[in-house]
Amino acid sequence: MNIIQKLQSSNSPRRLASRKYTRSKFGDIMMFLLLALGGLFSMLPLIYAVCTSFKPLDELLIFPPTFFVKRPTIGNYKVLPDLMASLKVPISRYIFNSLMVSVVSTVIYIVVAAMAAYVIAKATFPGRKTIFWIIQFALMFNAYTLAVPQYLINSKLHLIDTYWIYILPHMASTLGVFLMKQYIDGYIPDALLEAAKIDGASHYRIFWQIVMPIVRPAWLTLTLFSFRDTWSAVPNGTVFSEEIKTLPQIVNQITAGGLARSGSAMAVTVIMMIPPILVYLISQSNVLEAMSSSGIKE
Amino acid sequence: MKRKKKNQGITALKSRYGRMFTLPWLIGMIIFFIIPLFEAVRFSFSEVTIVPGGIEKKFIGFANYKEILFSNPDYTDIVSSAITAFLYQLPIILLLSMVLAILLNQKFLGRTFFRALYFLPVIIASGPVLSLLFFSSSSDLSNLGASESISTSLISVDEIVADLGISGGAASYITTMISRIFDLIWNCGIQIVLFLAGLQSIPSTLYEASRVEGATKWEEFWFITFPMLSEVTVLVGVFTMVQLITNDRSRIITLLYNNINSAVYDTTSAMAWFYFLVSGGIMAFILFCYSYFAGKRWKA
Repeated sequence: MNIIQKLQSSNSPRRLASRKYTRSKFGDIMMFLLLALGGLFSMLPLIYAVCTSFKPLDELLIFPPTFFVKRPTIGNYKVLPDLMASLKVPISRYIFNSLMVSVVSTVIYIVVAAMAAYVIAKATFPGRKTIFWIIQFALMFNAYTLAVPQYLINSKLHLIDTYWIYILPHMASTLGVFLMKQYIDGYIPDALLEAAKIDGASHYRIFWQIVMPIVRPAWLTLTLFSFRDTWSAVPNGTVFSEEIKTLPQIVNQITAGGLARSGSAMAVTVIMMIPPILVYLISQSNVLEAMSSSGIKE
Repeated sequence: MKRKKKNQGITALKSRYGRMFTLPWLIGMIIFFIIPLFEAVRFSFSEVTIVPGGIEKKFIGFANYKEILFSNPDYTDIVSSAITAFLYQLPIILLLSMVLAILLNQKFLGRTFFRALYFLPVIIASGPVLSLLFFSSSSDLSNLGASESISTSLISVDEIVADLGISGGAASYITTMISRIFDLIWNCGIQIVLFLAGLQSIPSTLYEASRVEGATKWEEFWFITFPMLSEVTVLVGVFTMVQLITNDRSRIITLLYNNINSAVYDTTSAMAWFYFLVSGGIMAFILFCYSYFAGKRWKA
């Protein structure tokens, strides 16, 4: 008993010393404030967009522009059907196009990237290293650098002014293969594939029933990124028929209306933000996990 | 080494399937990336004229490069300002996202909400329309971007700086820094997530042991957190560099974009390639320094 007490008392100064450096109530509050401030900064443009979309015309014209709306109006939203009515094709067609293009190209993108990543991660064949180097090299390119040669190829393949122009070039994206490959490296042990092989599973079966379920966080993350990009993509000079135009192109037409339309433009932008945020909410819990394994591997 | 041997065991079987599985992606890659890449290189060395039904190329050697570097008044300025911006934004973004990630890794009420908040810009700040609305840098009233509008309406930065009695170069530096804060925080989303993941992969036993030994929080950070994050930091660094180089909103990319829209293909290709070589060189240099001083190789 005595010994224990002695030990405790000899320990206590050290304990106290270490406790001194743990966070205090004050530190907690400061941390919370700092985070809230940063979070507010990252939210400001969103709040601004929402506020502006409710501003009446005279408030839009004030200079310097005000942040909050004083007399909110839903006029900007009410005008939208009228603006849409002046379009040659009904708005439902654009919505259909946008959804169709985003969903189809996202699905194709995920499947193609996953298949490639699976093989690059797990198989050995000549040129595997080279392919991975090309992927890392390609990550550095901005799309505009290659815009003209890509346009020439698109026109040679007769993709201009068809739905394919939205979908096919998306296939060459490298971020997906990169992320998936890192994830497969980290999470799928060779033993698992060997076991499946011994049990007589075909390659397709291994891919669809073992690899894909395990890498679910990775492809959910990619779904988010891909959907975000295709949803907001504006094909420059490659689509001319109204029948196959997507929503962002209409937004551009409305924005082109100048200052008087800037309220409506913001209203459309706010509406346009909703689908990617929905996709994010669905895939949210997996995003962190997938991003985590892209970096940490031995 | 061990892994390689093991790999060959199962995968000798798989090599022919291997090519089949990669085929769709590889074809896409060759058609939409590799061929255009070589075309772009050829463009930069030729005089490109538009003729009915296509374009014509005439090889002229380095003339395009000479023109953009010595005759074009803006190009070198824009490239050097892009590189400077790149060099000072990189450490700021790394530091900011590391600090935010460490804070977001603490246990507190509403943690998930805050994490989502910081990731939100990654989701909504994409697309030409949004960046047009938010980051337009023109002084045209109708095109005033939200970031400028916010900084002029909410926080009158200039006045505050003047009130504090700072003037001249320092003042303009502070003003630009504050108005860049959106760009910086909006650039941190993915970095924060990567750092968070890195933090979570540090075994908690290390912290427990150090606590028993009586290490302070400060020592814990420098001797455990920071070294354990080094690999993630390199990954985040590479990611940030790529993000900064290819940033759609930077002046250099805007220049390329405008030139392409006005159908100047040859010098634009040269501009793009020169910029790519310079920025890629700097990136390689930074990674080389890292591997030289840390004794590690950047592996992906």
